[in-house]
Amino acid sequence: MDKVTATLRSLVQPLLAVIVGLAVGAIAIVIVGGSITETYAEMWRGAFGSFYFLTNTLTRATPIILIGLGVALAFRAGFFNMGSEGQMVLGALSAALTAIYMPGPGWLKMIAAIFAGMIAGGIWSAFAGWLDAKFRMNLLITTLLLNYIATYFAAYMVTYPFKDKTGSAAMSQTVMLGREAWLPKLFQGMTLHVGFLLAVGVTILMFLFMKHTVKGYEIRMMGGNPLFASYGGIQRGKLMLASMFVSGGLAGLAGSVEVLGTQYRFIDGALTSPGYAWSGIMATLLAGSHPIGTALAAILIAALQTGGMGMERNTDVPLEVSSIIQAVLILFVSAKLTYSFIKRKKAGAKNGRAL
Amino acid sequence: MLLQMDSITKTYGNVTANSDVSFNLHKGEIHAIIGENGAGKTTLMRILYGMETPTSGSIRLNGKPVSFHSPTDAINNGIGMVHQHFMLFSSFTVAENIVIGREPSSPIGFDRKAAASVTDQLAKQYGMPVDPWAKVGDCSLGVQQRVEILKVLHQGAEIIILDEPTGVLTPLEVKELLAAIKSLAAQGKSFILISHKLQEIIEVADRITVLRDGKVTGTVQAADTDEEQLSKLMVGRDLVKLTREKKQSGKPVLEVNSLSIRGDRTKPLLSDVSLQVNEGEIVGIAGISGNGQSELLQAISGLLKPDKGSVRLLGQDVTGAPVGDIRRGGLAHIPEDRYQWGVSKEADVLENGLMGHTARHHKLGLLRGSSIRGMVAEWVERFGIKTGSLNTKAQFLSGGNLQKLIVARELAQDTPFLIAAEPTRGVDVGAMEIIHKELLQRRSAKGAILLVSSELTEVLKLSDRILVMFEGKIVGELMAETATEERISLLMAGGKHVG
Repeated sequence: MDKVTATLRSLVQPLLAVIVGLAVGAIAIVIVGGSITETYAEMWRGAFGSFYFLTNTLTRATPIILIGLGVALAFRAGFFNMGSEGQMVLGALSAALTAIYMPGPGWLKMIAAIFAGMIAGGIWSAFAGWLDAKFRMNLLITTLLLNYIATYFAAYMVTYPFKDKTGSAAMSQTVMLGREAWLPKLFQGMTLHVGFLLAVGVTILMFLFMKHTVKGYEIRMMGGNPLFASYGGIQRGKLMLASMFVSGGLAGLAGSVEVLGTQYRFIDGALTSPGYAWSGIMATLLAGSHPIGTALAAILIAALQTGGMGMERNTDVPLEVSSIIQAVLILFVSAKLTYSFIKRKKAGAKNGRAL
Repeated sequence: MLLQMDSITKTYGNVTANSDVSFNLHKGEIHAIIGENGAGKTTLMRILYGMETPTSGSIRLNGKPVSFHSPTDAINNGIGMVHQHFMLFSSFTVAENIVIGREPSSPIGFDRKAAASVTDQLAKQYGMPVDPWAKVGDCSLGVQQRVEILKVLHQGAEIIILDEPTGVLTPLEVKELLAAIKSLAAQGKSFILISHKLQEIIEVADRITVLRDGKVTGTVQAADTDEEQLSKLMVGRDLVKLTREKKQSGKPVLEVNSLSIRGDRTKPLLSDVSLQVNEGEIVGIAGISGNGQSELLQAISGLLKPDKGSVRLLGQDVTGAPVGDIRRGGLAHIPEDRYQWGVSKEADVLENGLMGHTARHHKLGLLRGSSIRGMVAEWVERFGIKTGSLNTKAQFLSGGNLQKLIVARELAQDTPFLIAAEPTRGVDVGAMEIIHKELLQRRSAKGAILLVSSELTEVLKLSDRILVMFEGKIVGELMAETATEERISLLMAGGKHVG
């Protein structure tokens, strides 16, 4: 009973955020002179209106889910990993190059590419963790700045050494992967690929891992009170590097499945401009780092984006309305963060006094 | 009758904090209120001080009914309160702190000199010497308390509420404070004293009112009572007398050799500390907090790397080893500050209980929920931990219950060596009894315990040997049989080294 009410209560805030987001969006729609019901109906149709649109939304949600889970793991351990973008890009680049240059049968290329992507993202993320452990460099800042290094490095790689010189020469991109290394589609003629099943699998695994394993327990305790964890004999350094590695690895996996399942080559900017990484972080925050909640929030955010496109196709309301709704979601999420931060500070002061 | 509180009842939702509590105070009287945590002492005082309004009941001052809606109301009616944790501006001078809110002014603003002379006059009148020009931050806690009392007197208080006034003071400062209270009472001021230190209360109070579960269980004349009767009124049953059986101690379990920690201040945090704890022995460390005890414990348990010296546990050198290794090597640790080190407040009772026990409760890295549940449920039963359920978050447990959970968790590690730092800080008499009993049982079972406590009575009651720490050094070692509170107090305050 206790658990049910707790779960329900944890749903109140995100639902409220969505409702207020839609309400503010409605105001924006009125201002640009659209009809609220018609616009939202188009948005719904664009996101879930037919099997095609539904699978399209889930395709978009796939990298967001994986990134969100990675960020959630780091958050649970008490670290801000803001470097998903760079980790994803390096993962995507490594996956693409592996799939292109690795000899062997298609399935091997595919699996090797996925692992290469995860390892690249993981190392990039663990590197930031190492900087923190070794030189006390703030993770929030290093992860954020390492994004630039990663994305420009990848841009350089596909503009010079690995540039596709066969096709239209203007694009900074690799050559296309061999068809045998592509992730299979789930349905004929639809965009949805096996990567989505992978994302669902990782979600469930992560949920079980956090709740039912010793390491998951240690990660949660470290995130809750690092001093308590070290007092209890949990080694912060090792566990931090491991969680950062997995966190970045999941971002790398997101980049890999996007390359292997949707784009079939690494194109400069193709992962950064849709804002997958930031959508993933938003999903995590909206769900309070709960793995299953994060996956659902990721689908919601993807739906807002695909629905927004549908809305723009069929009404006079511009795509930006969907950005407004997302912006309100972010506002709500940050309000929640600040609120819990203040609460924690107050509680801390109180405890100091209670002694 | 100066103050009369009649049939005060205060309910929060369906929780009754005070139920039909009546209380009165004569002019010049010292009236103590005692009770366990959550007995309703604080609520009663908050009502008197205007911070809460009673659900029912009335307050009369000099026979006239009054009702206070804020502390300002209470202050204007001559009621002042000195809180457990001082409300002073540490970067201001003593005089500035005392006149605050009623500052003497000169044509160009605040009159510093007048403030100082007002302070001097007050100090002389009430026999509580302070230096008006000293910065409060530089004053000892005893002096800060005097400043608090003078501030309340300057505000014109006739009734002064003191909430746990001796908690942070050295034994000498306690003596001075009690003398000051008596002399003020002789000058006609009235005191309400909230405390859990029975001995002090019996010494200073005229009457004592005992609360239990929000009700008055007795009001007695201090002259006619003793600690035993008061404990019984507080707890509602007889306390079991603890006896420490005499025993020869065994092999050394912990050996600390000239441990030093420099720290970044001018004085070293720990200098050249050596000690030994044997099987079946409780070694107590007495000292005013902040004299190196925390650093010593952290160095022993691996949380702090010493600059010099060594720590051996069961003959193994564990100096600077990772905490986990030391724990596995045979150490359990009741931490000094339970919120900082001892729990994660966001985590539930089960998760907080599991810390350090994962090795025994997993299969291939998967936690075994039912065995964890069984273990923690047994502690809850044995220690009488009051919690909604095993899934209640730690932040919703009271301090005493949380402490019991931590003590249970660490005792259950079943290690040859246990650090017990402030094991009963903030817990009520009943819980204290349970914890003391468990510690002595561990001693009988050949356990070695290093006890650190700022409560002298606790150290004296449990220890076989007592070490006194002052400014990072061990300044004295006494055997339990020959140790007296006076000798320890003297050493704690930096007095002469006693062989």
